[in-house]
Amino acid sequence: MSEIVFENVSRTPRAGVKGPGAAAWLTSLGVPVPDLPNSWLPLPGGLVARLGLTEFLVEGPEAAKLAAPPVHGVYPVLRQDTALVLKGARLNDLLLETCSVDFRALDRAARPVVLTSMAGVGVTAIPGDDAGVPCIRLWCDGTYGEWLLETLAGVAADLTQSSQSHHQGATS
Amino acid sequence: MRLPPQSGEWIIRSKPLGFRFEGREYAGFEGDTVASALWAGGVHVLGHSFKYHRPRGILSAANHDVNALMQAGGTPNVRADATPLQAGMALTAVNTFGTLERDAGRFLGWFARFLPVGFYYKAFHSKRLFPLWERMFRAMTGLGRVDFATPRLRTPKRYGFCDVLVVGAGPSGLSAALAAAEQGADVALVDENARLGGSTHGASELIKQVVAHPRIRIFTDTYAAGYYADHWVPLVEPGRITKMRARAVVVAAGAYEQPAVFRNNDLPGIMLASAAQRMIRRYAIRPAQRVVVLAANADAYRALQDFIEAGIEVAAVIDLRDAVPTEQAAVLAERGIPLHAGHVITEALPAKGDKRVAGVRIAAVATREASAEIACDGVFMSVGWAPAAPLLYQAGTKMRYDDGVQQFVPDTLPDGVFACGRVNGIHTPSARLLDGERAGSAAAAYCGCGAAKPVVVPAETASPTHPWPIVPHPKGKNFIDFDEDLQLADLENAIQEGFDNIELMKRYSTVGMGPSQGKHSNMNALRVLARATGSTPGAVGTTTARPFFHPVPMSHLAGRGFTPERRTPMHARHAAAGALWMPAGAWQRPEYYAVAGLSRSDCIHGEVKAVRNGVGLIDVGTLGKLEIRGPQAAEFLERVYISKYAGLKVGMTRYAVMCDEAGVVIDDGVVARLADDHFYFTTTTSGAALIYRELSRWNTLWKLDCGIVNLTGAMAAMNLAGPKARAVLAGLTDVDLSFPYLAVREGTVAGVPARLLRVGFVGEWGVEIHVPAEHGAAVWDALMAAGQAHGIRPFGVEAQRLLRLEKGHIIIGQDTDGLTTPGEAALDWAVKMDKPFFVGQRSLMAIAAKPRRQQLVGFMLPAGHAGEAPKECHLVIENGEITGRVTSVAWSPTLARHIGLAYVQPDRAQAGSQFSIRLTDGAMVIAEVVRTPFYDPDNLRQKEAA
Repeated sequence: MSEIVFENVSRTPRAGVKGPGAAAWLTSLGVPVPDLPNSWLPLPGGLVARLGLTEFLVEGPEAAKLAAPPVHGVYPVLRQDTALVLKGARLNDLLLETCSVDFRALDRAARPVVLTSMAGVGVTAIPGDDAGVPCIRLWCDGTYGEWLLETLAGVAADLTQSSQSHHQGATS
Repeated sequence: MRLPPQSGEWIIRSKPLGFRFEGREYAGFEGDTVASALWAGGVHVLGHSFKYHRPRGILSAANHDVNALMQAGGTPNVRADATPLQAGMALTAVNTFGTLERDAGRFLGWFARFLPVGFYYKAFHSKRLFPLWERMFRAMTGLGRVDFATPRLRTPKRYGFCDVLVVGAGPSGLSAALAAAEQGADVALVDENARLGGSTHGASELIKQVVAHPRIRIFTDTYAAGYYADHWVPLVEPGRITKMRARAVVVAAGAYEQPAVFRNNDLPGIMLASAAQRMIRRYAIRPAQRVVVLAANADAYRALQDFIEAGIEVAAVIDLRDAVPTEQAAVLAERGIPLHAGHVITEALPAKGDKRVAGVRIAAVATREASAEIACDGVFMSVGWAPAAPLLYQAGTKMRYDDGVQQFVPDTLPDGVFACGRVNGIHTPSARLLDGERAGSAAAAYCGCGAAKPVVVPAETASPTHPWPIVPHPKGKNFIDFDEDLQLADLENAIQEGFDNIELMKRYSTVGMGPSQGKHSNMNALRVLARATGSTPGAVGTTTARPFFHPVPMSHLAGRGFTPERRTPMHARHAAAGALWMPAGAWQRPEYYAVAGLSRSDCIHGEVKAVRNGVGLIDVGTLGKLEIRGPQAAEFLERVYISKYAGLKVGMTRYAVMCDEAGVVIDDGVVARLADDHFYFTTTTSGAALIYRELSRWNTLWKLDCGIVNLTGAMAAMNLAGPKARAVLAGLTDVDLSFPYLAVREGTVAGVPARLLRVGFVGEWGVEIHVPAEHGAAVWDALMAAGQAHGIRPFGVEAQRLLRLEKGHIIIGQDTDGLTTPGEAALDWAVKMDKPFFVGQRSLMAIAAKPRRQQLVGFMLPAGHAGEAPKECHLVIENGEITGRVTSVAWSPTLARHIGLAYVQPDRAQAGSQFSIRLTDGAMVIAEVVRTPFYDPDNLRQKEAA
């Protein structure tokens, strides 16, 4: 049995927007905007992530608000991502085998959003924990989703298999 | 023979292991290496040398004994001196013709004088004899056997992070790790040995502290294989590679003990003193019974204690130095061991069969006149060290030669890189501890952990390395490089022949090019070069140290790799329909759909026929799909495409070709205007990511009032085409399907919001249907279901390529290359030079002033052509010269002819002209230029409105 649990949350409502007028537009719609790029805020039943200076991802019920007609400087982004939540005690080992970012060094209190590459696929990631168990929320282009899920699950299975055989002292 | 239990020994006597070597049974213990177990079993010839097949035993016992490489089952080139013994191993020596006992290669030694330095260069100088030599060398060289049936191992690679990476867990490395950790740094400590301690052999208080420290992670059996930018060091562990990103690196890699050079210095039983110590302390083996110690430093006298404690009779100490320090000489005097100061070994004397040293002949350094012969079965050499500095070199350290210690030491270290211990020229044990503390503290401080401690490290008072441990001999066999069987005279001859630069000498003589990469030969080689050229070692310098520092197993390098694969939302549908896949960039696309009992070409032609006569459906979701919005969206498209879009009416589409600044065609697609300030456009499958990046770059530079959104993965797309396509679609959409060719409409298909583009790529009435990806499979299913009554077939990439070829439509990247201009690709009609600006316009103006190089044309082979047909990339030949090439060619089932596209000289481009194509076998085929489209030249079928 895998020590990392995968949950596919792609069906969660989701919408994106970018452009110089995006932040003001979201505010006008009643969606709070994170102050800093690459950070996120919780929303009722979801979240809003600032992916850069002028690009946002809204997930959860609040995403419906982005169906409003865009105004000048606002460009809607159709989000058809594969969205995954990974959770488990060996999660950090999985991340170390697939991604060059040191997630454990991030300040969780700052609610970081990481745009990086995982197993060669561009992903947006939010690390966190669920009752003390490490977890991470990932989004990737939906056309890579199946392959990414298969690949991460394969690595996770290998980690489980090898967890007893690896020499002591080299954990990180 | 085994000694009584030694303090800190590595072997576990309660766990005996049986194994086979060269067909014979042996036994060792867990914790043994293959070499130690064999030596304990009385086997002293572990392999034969590379060139002369001379018997060789243990030299370093430190993972550098490349004359003791073995085949272990399917694994070649196992290093016996470092590979842990495992039960049931079946081992053979790799470099023998026959067995180690009866190696037919031994005769090669008799022909040594016919194998001079630079032999390869000299042999291959003659073109006529090249094949002969090649065959001979192929047969004679190479080590081990590769088992091609070896399964692929998914050896994991992972990233690692730490504040301070300490490479080497000898005294200085341990001290550095502890100092850094105590200042608060997260430390990773790496050592290639199975246990900590380096040359100290055994448990110590320092090791206990390091092991117990919560901020120190220990990687044993692990080597740092190279240094890359920003302190990125791959750590090769037995079962994985960790790509360690450190904030600072402490190199405490130590030094390689160096052999002395004298005649027959390669006989089994002659080894480095440190190797003998390892045999005693780690594996509880007495490596010889009666030995001569060849000394030139204090280390030799420290090692002597170990030899005596192990019950080895020391017949004599031959010290190269004229003046041996009193305290060292006293050690010998106490025990009545003869000391021959200012002497050298001129020659080792072999036992019968050359399988073991039986004695040495010594002489005074000054006179070189033989003074004595001493019987022994071992010679332990301790004459100096070479720093294990490859990581420092790779990091960009400026090194200098320190005459005080006769070695290269770091002069200027890069930021964040620190060195300590022997690699730093500090050899005295107590000083190594201090030097480690200094470096570890400084490294931690560099990472922001505490302040660097002001530690004073005393300088060495005597050189641990002799400047010239080399003795010429008229009969040679005084080896400098054991990997490559290079003797002193070989290097002297190379220098005499003009290869008097260290890099040239290395390549000509191959010194340092064997598996140990010069760890035992480079220093002596550069000393020889320095002396022969009247220079100094410092001026001669070293060769370039490149990664990897130590061979990395292929299983690690070719281990788990990630090759991302994109799948469209209809992927499962294609699989269920029998798709055979082909890669298209990162995408997997159906090449065609297999039908039981039909050949590949029959399947493809069947799909073509379905489109021409009925209806077909192809997944085109791999196309790049972009959207641009904003008041200056049209202006942006005007600038990036060669045609005009400002005047494109809302609801219409236009073919779009993009050039780079050199005027070379780089992409094409279709631009659809959805509103005055809103366009939706496609790119080629392979160009999608690049084009989006490039357009984003331009948008950033130009600062136009518009924004681009990449919808490639977010939108599914499929092309429904054929005379019955409209009938299939009619019942599924609310869009009036009488909309004209090249128009775009928004509506619903199967209840899903969709964009419909009337296109003609395959030459029939067709519509591209673009829907959000989540609905792609449902819309596909609906179309297939609605098409059942009309005989709908899914068609793959190969059928589409054939259909478009019948229409003469080009594929960017296949019918163009990295130099093709729009004019050459017959796209002049799309170029609007009267626009104020577009990317590539200026280059196209310059190109237009020059004669055209080539022209893309359609061609046909004669009706009834029965022979081999040309293939893509076959050359167009005129008067024996290459004048063009075939870019696309196929048998058209619709036209019952071979048709194709080819580049020809412009004066051959008129319809009716003929040109010659050279086939693979050299035969020529005549082709005739034909106007395109080949099929439906007036495009009536695709334009058909109602």
